[in-house]
Amino acid sequence: MTTVIEARDVSKSYGDVQAVNHVNLSVEKGALFGLLGPNGSGKTTMIKMLTGQTRPTGGTATVLGIDAEKDPVGVRGRVGIIPEQETPPSFLTAQEYLEFVAAVRKIPDIQKKADWWFEFLDFADKKNVLCKDLSRGTRQKLMFTQAFIHEPELALIDEPLINFDPIMQDLVKDYLAAYVKKGKTIFISTHILEVAEEICSGFAILHKGNLLHTGPVAELTARGEHLPSYFLSLVRKDRHV
Amino acid sequence: MFELFVAMLKEEWRVHSTMFGSLSFALFPVMIFGIAFMGAFLIPLMRTTLPAGNLTLIIHANYLMLGIMVGGFGLLGNEVMSRRFGQASFLSYSARSLPLSDRFIFTNFVIKDTVYYFFLWVFPFGFGYILASPFTGVSLARALLLLLTLTLSFLFGLCGVFFLSTVYARSRTVLWLVLLALGTGWGGFAAMTGMNPALFFPPMLLNSAFSWTNLLVSCAVLVILFAVAIVLFNPESVGSEKNYKDAFAPLMNRFSFLPHPPLAAKDTIDLYRSGSMIGQTIFSFLLPLAVIWFFLSLLGPFFPPHGLLFIFAITTGVVASTMYTWVTMFDSFGPYACLPVAVSTLITSKLTTFAVLQVIPAAFIAVVALLSGEAAYLVPAVVLGCSVSFYAVGVMAWLCGLSPNVLVYDVKVLFVYLVLVGIVLMVFTTAAFANPYYALSAVILVIPTWLLVQKAKTRWDAVDPAGF
Ligand SMILES: Nc1ncnc2c1ncn2[C@@H]1O[C@H](COP(=O)(O)OP(=O)(O)O)[C@@H](O)[C@H]1O
Ligand SMILES: [Mg+2]
Repeated sequence: MTTVIEARDVSKSYGDVQAVNHVNLSVEKGALFGLLGPNGSGKTTMIKMLTGQTRPTGGTATVLGIDAEKDPVGVRGRVGIIPEQETPPSFLTAQEYLEFVAAVRKIPDIQKKADWWFEFLDFADKKNVLCKDLSRGTRQKLMFTQAFIHEPELALIDEPLINFDPIMQDLVKDYLAAYVKKGKTIFISTHILEVAEEICSGFAILHKGNLLHTGPVAELTARGEHLPSYFLSLVRKDRHV
Repeated sequence: MFELFVAMLKEEWRVHSTMFGSLSFALFPVMIFGIAFMGAFLIPLMRTTLPAGNLTLIIHANYLMLGIMVGGFGLLGNEVMSRRFGQASFLSYSARSLPLSDRFIFTNFVIKDTVYYFFLWVFPFGFGYILASPFTGVSLARALLLLLTLTLSFLFGLCGVFFLSTVYARSRTVLWLVLLALGTGWGGFAAMTGMNPALFFPPMLLNSAFSWTNLLVSCAVLVILFAVAIVLFNPESVGSEKNYKDAFAPLMNRFSFLPHPPLAAKDTIDLYRSGSMIGQTIFSFLLPLAVIWFFLSLLGPFFPPHGLLFIFAITTGVVASTMYTWVTMFDSFGPYACLPVAVSTLITSKLTTFAVLQVIPAAFIAVVALLSGEAAYLVPAVVLGCSVSFYAVGVMAWLCGLSPNVLVYDVKVLFVYLVLVGIVLMVFTTAAFANPYYALSAVILVIPTWLLVQKAKTRWDAVDPAGF
């Protein structure tokens, strides 16, 4: 087994706010790893540190063997990222945005792949519309495409399902499950617990920046427990201490 | 709905003060106040070299230009409404879920900005001057009059450009016609009477001799310009699902000689499709410079021969350096955050686009040199203007990275900027005044510029990029 993500004693504070508090995490190759937690628990901050978008105030984050703090561009060159807020540039069309991403990532022959994604996520009719005029759902489709179009060995995706309708959610869920079967790794943050239970192999629970639990989902199921109820009891207990 | 107005004002203050730190930001009007207060004591000193009338002229021209720069609301209207508010869900945007018309929200926004900038820029200056008046022997009435006429100057710039920019947003042809009419009127007057019409700028007239008629007429003109602009403002066109032809790939091929072709192609498309390219050129560049030219030309007799051309080239250089904001203002780091792009790469690419845009000021200075019959000094003037522009942008990149707006609001940063740029301006103005060909020595600014850009890249790579 190879470790693709290794967080050692990682912390991040914004002034007085401790967004992430001494977290230790590791994710193996081929995992579909869910980062769970209520709003404001530090999931987005964690993903930003792992992808070199922000620097930890303590500890080290190693991704694919690269120190994310020392070489953020190196990490971002090898992974795929869906940020929490969908922000494709306003004045490019969807098609142009994918060309832009491909050019920056130096992926050759983008068009066939792009067309496959336009069909797969059902937005081919919008491909020549400016991003600022796209609906939220379509923008999310575009951001999803952008993260996977180069088939990265690791994708870190922040609440990717949030703007999708149930049909689209189902499609994407299946895509993610199949993606890790090819030996690739996915790190997903979500608060949709049912989805996490259904597709994730491992998970971690964050609350107020503290890591409450990390381990395989199978371990829970073997004990006859369900992820949603386990999550709720753990978070409620923590809220009272 | 006065509440909406007050809430918007508070919001504006909070946005700026959280962006730049309360203290640094609150110090801004204090600094303006300080400059005016101290400046008042220097007046007797300056009078020995420059007649008092010309000093008031310069100050009025500055506030007119300030108004012009703040006033492009009509141009930015839809941009502001759909982007700035749409993204960060500011009040204007949330107010859209209330039963209020877009025009009403926009009017509130414009008045808010006017009041806001008035208290930030105009009032502190007048106030400083008033407080200094007992010590400098200027009568209180004169100091109050200055505050009034400066306010009018500012409002003339603001309403004038607001009006023109809404005309522009409606129809470019009409704008050209209006500008043409103004230009011929101006030129005709100058040719017929042999006088510079800038002499008849109402606030200036009012300042030299107060009259109620003038005041009333000025106010009426302002109100009419403002009202027409509001009526002309077109809140439509928020999101049309138009299809666009792929412009990215061809542009990228054309830019293959630049260091980062995809980034340059994206910037170009941004500038072009947002309408900023032409609009900004007119309203943030040509118009303020044309105004400055007319006011400066009044001062001609006090400069050495050819001095005017070089003063103007330097001013153009400083104004041209703000083109850096054109390429950074409407871009956030967001789309780059999930790509392997470092802040330093982005700075390089933005500066490259900036460099390409410098064709505009270079051509402009060249035209001015030809028109003013000083073709012999065309080359030194262009070299001086462009060198100053590149140097000033280097300072800006070093101080502010990708957010040059910080410059305007962070007192510490502004101070360093003014010192670094001010010294250079003084040195090269002196050189050019001594001998026009000495202006060529400004090429030497390449060295500090290069160093500043290198420092900017390491400095801004080492911190988390803003705008997340
Ligand atoms: N840029 C920032 N500045 C200040 N505080 C922040 C910033 N980003 C996040 N926080 C704070 O850090 C905490 C964790 O936020 P976040 O990582 O977005 O949580 P989640 O994604 O789990 O909802 C919150 O309390 C949030 O307010
Ligand atoms: Mg989040």
